[in-house]
Amino acid sequence: MSEFRVLIVDDEIDFLETLVKRLKKRKLDAVGVASGEKALDILDRERFDVVILDVRMPGLDGIETLKEIKRRTPLTEVIMLTGHASVESGMQGMQLGAFDYVIKPAGIDDLIEKLNQARERKLLHEERIRSGRNVP
Amino acid sequence: MRKESGPAGTCPDIDFTPYPIEEPGQSRLRLFQALITLLPAALAIPLFLCAGPIYALLALSVAAVSFMVAGYYIGRIARANEQKCKLDLQLIQSQKLAAIGELSSGIAHEINNPLAIIGQEVEWMKHLMKEGGCGSNTPVGGMSEFNESLIEIGRQVDRCREITHKLLDFARKKEPLIQAVDMNRLIEDMAKLVEKEARQRNVLIERNYQADLPLVRTDPPLLRQVVLNLLNNANWAIEDRGVITISTMRAGKNAVEFMVSDTGCGIPPENLDKIFDPFFTTKPPGKGTGLGLSICHGIISKLGGSISVDSEVGKGTTFTVHLPAETTKGKN
Amino acid sequence: MSSKPKVLIVDDEERFRTTLRKLLLVKGIDAASVGSAREAFDELDTGSYDVILLDVKMPEMDGIEALAEMKRRFPHLEVIMLTGHASVDVAVEIMRLGGFEYLLKPCPIEELTDKVEAAFERKKNRESRARKKESTQEETAS
Repeated sequence: MSEFRVLIVDDEIDFLETLVKRLKKRKLDAVGVASGEKALDILDRERFDVVILDVRMPGLDGIETLKEIKRRTPLTEVIMLTGHASVESGMQGMQLGAFDYVIKPAGIDDLIEKLNQARERKLLHEERIRSGRNVP
Repeated sequence: MRKESGPAGTCPDIDFTPYPIEEPGQSRLRLFQALITLLPAALAIPLFLCAGPIYALLALSVAAVSFMVAGYYIGRIARANEQKCKLDLQLIQSQKLAAIGELSSGIAHEINNPLAIIGQEVEWMKHLMKEGGCGSNTPVGGMSEFNESLIEIGRQVDRCREITHKLLDFARKKEPLIQAVDMNRLIEDMAKLVEKEARQRNVLIERNYQADLPLVRTDPPLLRQVVLNLLNNANWAIEDRGVITISTMRAGKNAVEFMVSDTGCGIPPENLDKIFDPFFTTKPPGKGTGLGLSICHGIISKLGGSISVDSEVGKGTTFTVHLPAETTKGKN
Repeated sequence: MSSKPKVLIVDDEERFRTTLRKLLLVKGIDAASVGSAREAFDELDTGSYDVILLDVKMPEMDGIEALAEMKRRFPHLEVIMLTGHASVDVAVEIMRLGGFEYLLKPCPIEELTDKVEAAFERKKNRESRARKKESTQEETAS
């Protein structure tokens, strides 16, 4: 089984570093970047299975970043994670293809479970493409 | 006052398979035909040996007649089935056309209103141009009105874009990807999201989750959209101060149900019929295109379930979603 | 009687109402506007109007219902219905209930003002005929 790679995108540096550390402890290959632009940049060069994306960021915000990710690498699953929860952006995010929408603070166990579910979805999606069925 | 939407299978989908000429029942009838032919035919030889050629001939005649009569009736049944399939297809087709017709008139209305505003803004801008032009001797007031019109045009174009995008979303088939889901967890996640906004308006969320619900094999993000939509509607149905109740329960051996209830304004009986129609909305223009519930209905149908609504004006509304489950022990 | 009609615009889209008012004013037509049928009835109770521009699809009271009610309570008014989508059934119903015309949105301002003027003409003719009838009746009575 190939390694589970997670990209975390959040402009709050403290939160970012803590989360990367905790995920690494649970044996996930976690990488953190502090902006939407940097996220798109790294996604162009490296493969990730799931992206944890903050909604409110200066510059390219979460929703815009999500749109771009879904445009460039549609199979990458995205979990929106935000301290500024709003039903509006939740609905918008999921309509745009986000896998889940989670409010901070989120327990690390919960998060890992969601990451696993998101990754499972990616694998199912890839399997479906390989077997030739139609892709949404 | 109840309104049911059918479970998947009764909702016409965009692709349809060609009808069979011979149904499974047909092979059974052929077997029957063979039986009533061969039985008397088989008796011909022993009859010939025991009773003589006349009886043998009789047996063979019976066999022949049985064959022909059976064949005749089987033919009639086959033709009747063919007719029925043709009519079913016509019915589905006309239902689809009716649905498309309804959809188109809904779209037309939704788009014509923004177009009307754009048309008027253009007329006004032409008038402003005629009055003072937009050169250096244009009064400041005129320029800002001109600008306002431009902004309004942009706004209305955005509105149209939202409508067409949502429509494309609605029409595009989203094939569900099935995963095992803990319903209580999924629903609770969405409840927590809505709770923050609900609390500000004195709306409480009560949970009534049945423990030990079986894991449901369904599409998690699609289901999340449905739950969030229902919770959001429930929240806004309540003016100020009220309760949203979420319950989950087993429904029979292989299904699960969840309900979202609100103590809000309720839905008048004349609207209950249209509640799952695309574009039906009671919100003011520009705010919400009304595609939410129709999308929910579409998603739930795709997931093999059904959604229904119960409502009383002044008392509240309850949406009930029924989903088939596959009982899986433990986690994936 | 003034030579220009007094118009009431009834439509739930605010921007539509306000810009239409301004455009009508350029043509010399004085118009007021309200956002719902209910408000329209309040306004009609207090003010005097000649022609109503009434949107068919509005939340709360339906345009057709409003038309019927308007013709019942203020039969001297001319009502022009504005609709986002055409349907033969609705058109027939509008004419049956006594609507002057129904126009499809978006409608060019020229056409709209022409119809408003025409509706006003019909109202004036109807009222002058009624006045003539009254005066001949008075004559025969006296």
